[in-house]
Amino acid sequence: MTEPVPVVAQAVAVLRREVAVERAGREALVTTAPYVAAFVVLAGLAFGPSPQQLAPVAGGTTWLAVLGATVPLARAVAAAEVAEDSWDLLRGLAAPGALFTGKLLAAWAALALTWALATGLVVLLFEAPVPPQALYGGALGTLALAALTTGFGVLVAAGTRRRGLLAALVLPAGLPALLAGTQLATPGVPVLPWAVLMTLYAATVLAAVWAVFPVLLEE
Amino acid sequence: MATTTTRSRRTDRLLAAATVLAAGAAAVLALLVAPPDAVQGQPQRLMYVHVPAAWLAYLSFAAVLVASVAHLVTRDLRWDRRARAAAELGVGMTALAIALGSIWGRPVWGAWWVWDPRLVTTVVLLLVYLGHLSVRGLGDDPATGARRAAAVGVIGFVNVPVVHFSVVWWRTLHQPASVLSPDPAPMDPRMATALGVAVLAFTLAGVLVVRRRLRVLAAAGPAEPAPAPLPSPVTGPLVVTPRIRP
Repeated sequence: MTEPVPVVAQAVAVLRREVAVERAGREALVTTAPYVAAFVVLAGLAFGPSPQQLAPVAGGTTWLAVLGATVPLARAVAAAEVAEDSWDLLRGLAAPGALFTGKLLAAWAALALTWALATGLVVLLFEAPVPPQALYGGALGTLALAALTTGFGVLVAAGTRRRGLLAALVLPAGLPALLAGTQLATPGVPVLPWAVLMTLYAATVLAAVWAVFPVLLEE
Repeated sequence: MATTTTRSRRTDRLLAAATVLAAGAAAVLALLVAPPDAVQGQPQRLMYVHVPAAWLAYLSFAAVLVASVAHLVTRDLRWDRRARAAAELGVGMTALAIALGSIWGRPVWGAWWVWDPRLVTTVVLLLVYLGHLSVRGLGDDPATGARRAAAVGVIGFVNVPVVHFSVVWWRTLHQPASVLSPDPAPMDPRMATALGVAVLAFTLAGVLVVRRRLRVLAAAGPAEPAPAPLPSPVTGPLVVTPRIRP
């Protein structure tokens, strides 16, 4: 008789699988990195191009790029499994909590890298400083968006129609991260209220998606 | 069954009568009794429909949350229909509040639309619940669609407090909350009474609309009973009795 695999080990296994899929196809990297680079350059032209005009919109540009990246990333959450007909098998093998945690961590890593890339480009091209609180906003905001990406990605992956609905679901739901993240990335703005909003938002979204995730896995 | 239908119709008639009475009283109080605003003048009277519409939208979205959670727990499709009816009402009321706010803003702010946080967050809220209503169309199975919609109904409610507190967090053109605030702004008692009666009229009308919509939804798709609990696992030794055919 075999021992049941602990949920943590299952989550690690799911995460390792996600990393292996990414290493094999570079799907998230190829999807988001060129998009973010193009977005920041085009935003610089649209909002600027003088540095005096670009500095005030630097934080917002970063978060708009990150929020926009959630749509293609959500589409990829279960794409590999659906393509190779292993989605049902994976749902049967891994507990919902482990599946959520593994997928969430993978999405968080992708979004955190997206945020870091967008921030780096904004610092370089917009000549805008990054206040320390922006790191807090970046960490928590990308975590909250990763939870949304995972939840809505699984929801749409199981559907047979209206896949384009993903953008209409993810983008509005990410509004608080956009707002609080932008304010935390703007020098001179009071930190506490926006840090509180970001913390509450991340905690609420994580709890809500965690609670409904098993339901999304059902046929 | 016939008794239930008769009782339901009677409740609807009572609700309709109460709604007409409250709406009539609200119209008289808002248009004839309450004074015009000292600064904004007559356009301020739009408050008596704008604020109740926004209130009813909040109430509807709270109902969507409660019904969604109840559906996820019980899997009873009646809760899904309640969530759907409430979401439809909430979307309608949010659109109405935005339209009325735009009409009110034209003479007061000098523009139909401004990039005000309350306005923007309200439009985003409208998009969230439009998404909630569209999720049922992702697949063919109504039960699966109901579960997905319930999940979105739970996640989507996160934006509601953001809309409400946006006027507190930002310095906005939109005035702060006058009633639902820890420090409510002073208001002429006649204005407050007119607003209270208008809120009551909208709430009664909202309940009536949801009840009638529920009847339509129930007629379109009969309620499925909640799934029976899974059988408990076998605890004793499994005994196989051979059946010998003569």
